[in-house]
Amino acid sequence: MLDIKKNQDGSKLELSLSGRLDTITAPQLEEEIKAEIDGITELVFDFTDLAYVSSAGLRVLLSAQKSMNEKGSMVVRNVSEEIQEIFDVTGFSDILTIE
Amino acid sequence: MNAVWENDTIRLTLEGRIDSGNSADVESEIIEAIGDRTPGSVALDAERLEYISSAGLRIILRLRKRYPSLKVMNLSAEVYEVFEMTGFTEMMEVSKAYRVVSIEGCEEIGRGANGSIYRIDKDNVVKVYNNPDALEDIQHEREVARLALILGIPTAISYDVVRVGDSYGSVFEMLNAESFSKILATEPDKFEWCVEEYVDMLKRIHDTAVPAGKLPDMRETVISWAEFMQDYLPEGPAKKLLAMVEAVPHDDHMIHGDYHTKNLELQDDEVLLIDMDTLAVGNPVFELGSMFNAYVGFSELDHEIIKKFQGFDFETASRFWRRTLECYLGTTDDDVIRSVEDKARIIGYTRLIRRSIRRGGLEDPARKAEIDHWTEELIELLGKTDTLLFERNSSGDKRRDELDIEAVEENLSEVIAFVDKKLEAVGCSMKSQMQIDLAVEEIFVNIAKYAYNPDKGRAIVRVEVSEEPIQVKITFIDHGKPYDPLAKDDPDISLSADDRPIGGLGIFMAKQSMDDISYEYKDGSNILTLTKNI
Repeated sequence: MLDIKKNQDGSKLELSLSGRLDTITAPQLEEEIKAEIDGITELVFDFTDLAYVSSAGLRVLLSAQKSMNEKGSMVVRNVSEEIQEIFDVTGFSDILTIE
Repeated sequence: MNAVWENDTIRLTLEGRIDSGNSADVESEIIEAIGDRTPGSVALDAERLEYISSAGLRIILRLRKRYPSLKVMNLSAEVYEVFEMTGFTEMMEVSKAYRVVSIEGCEEIGRGANGSIYRIDKDNVVKVYNNPDALEDIQHEREVARLALILGIPTAISYDVVRVGDSYGSVFEMLNAESFSKILATEPDKFEWCVEEYVDMLKRIHDTAVPAGKLPDMRETVISWAEFMQDYLPEGPAKKLLAMVEAVPHDDHMIHGDYHTKNLELQDDEVLLIDMDTLAVGNPVFELGSMFNAYVGFSELDHEIIKKFQGFDFETASRFWRRTLECYLGTTDDDVIRSVEDKARIIGYTRLIRRSIRRGGLEDPARKAEIDHWTEELIELLGKTDTLLFERNSSGDKRRDELDIEAVEENLSEVIAFVDKKLEAVGCSMKSQMQIDLAVEEIFVNIAKYAYNPDKGRAIVRVEVSEEPIQVKITFIDHGKPYDPLAKDDPDISLSADDRPIGGLGIFMAKQSMDDISYEYKDGSNILTLTKNI
């Protein structure tokens, strides 16, 4: 189960995720980003209520980061200790901007 | 007001409404009815009480001060709620009026030492107690069921007490449940599954430590049986029996006391233990003794008995008992099984003999013959057995379970839920659970994507937990194309976002989050094993 809340303010888009970002739910996030990303220069993820990220989730984050590198910035906020560890182990801490 | 004295007990009938308008009158009427006598107890019969206000409750409080033995009985559900909300039910004896339930034409689905269980409708069953004055038994059973539930044993707790004919019953919610006896009788191909679930629950009961003083000690009960037998066995065997029972050390682990397949229910996918009134603590040999009786002892001389009681035949019962011992003990070694069975038979026959003698069996020739047979067996067993203690093979202690499921991505949630349930049962931390979930997801999704592509096939997910230190071992087995996911090189995690390929991280993450991952291809199966200490 993944719940995505969107909040768009001009060219800034904030996506608040709650639940699990895994093989089953990652395509849902991918589509959401694809549909909304045109004209966005600032993409923010809020992970306050996100409990779990698997490699399928990382794939979507990496591809979002690649897109945003071409046209603006991407930030991930409020990352739990457990998810931070996943980012550390996979080198994502160095790729993503985590606040 | 109607007031009736019975010896030194006075019963006063409350009627209609008690509120600020009449509470003072009610109070003085009660005091007047009791007069100068000192009642042993005062019972207020509230069957026809429709309403009580706080003014009414206040007079009950005052009366209770004056007559400490005051109790209120036969309250309607509505008025009872007022007493419950205000805390009166905690303070004094307050009892509800009992709903009347008929069991005529209802199916008997269970039977225990102290009562029988009937299904009264689709969602409810009632346990009717043999003892007509069963309110204390009901209270006891409710307390022990609650205790068992808190200690992690899945059971049903009754939510209502009812009148059934001249006796009492407790009502349980039990949706579409089926007893294991019925499954064994009607679905013979589920025999092995029944044994596994039955033994799992048995181990779970025997592995549950109970706080001191909460349950009766079965050792004391069995000592009293052995003492009884002193007058009915030759001196040598009699003394040996008592000495062997006394040599069984105190054990604070739970035993059910009447563990047979009518007391295990399948409700949806959940296995529930019922009929908890015999719950005790003690050495498992005492449990095996009553189990031997349930499957073999009671019906050894008349095979029709088991058919009537359990619905399956004596051959099935004996086979079930034997397989249960094998699984419970974790061995198929015939000598080991027989030696443990002998210990169970000693307890079982002792109980049967005592029971029959106490019910006048010695005066009835047919039953005397049974007693003689059991006694002969018992003496022979006592001759070749020196201890009632036995060991369960430690590999039998592992909590093991497996899921056989179609390997498709859509089933991931089910696989994760299955694994998490096992992990939660052993108190795994959230962090370890997430790390294990990660690895399980990667491996299962890998199988779903590649093993049978473009066809479909199944995967087995097996979870084993061993204790001290707690180690979780998860094995994935599929019969797809040989493929070692561990053979791939680890990704370079130092590359920048733009240089990194999308994907390829899954197996790497699984490796990072587990203590060990191994792969082998054997007999046409891919076998991948994850191990983690938690």
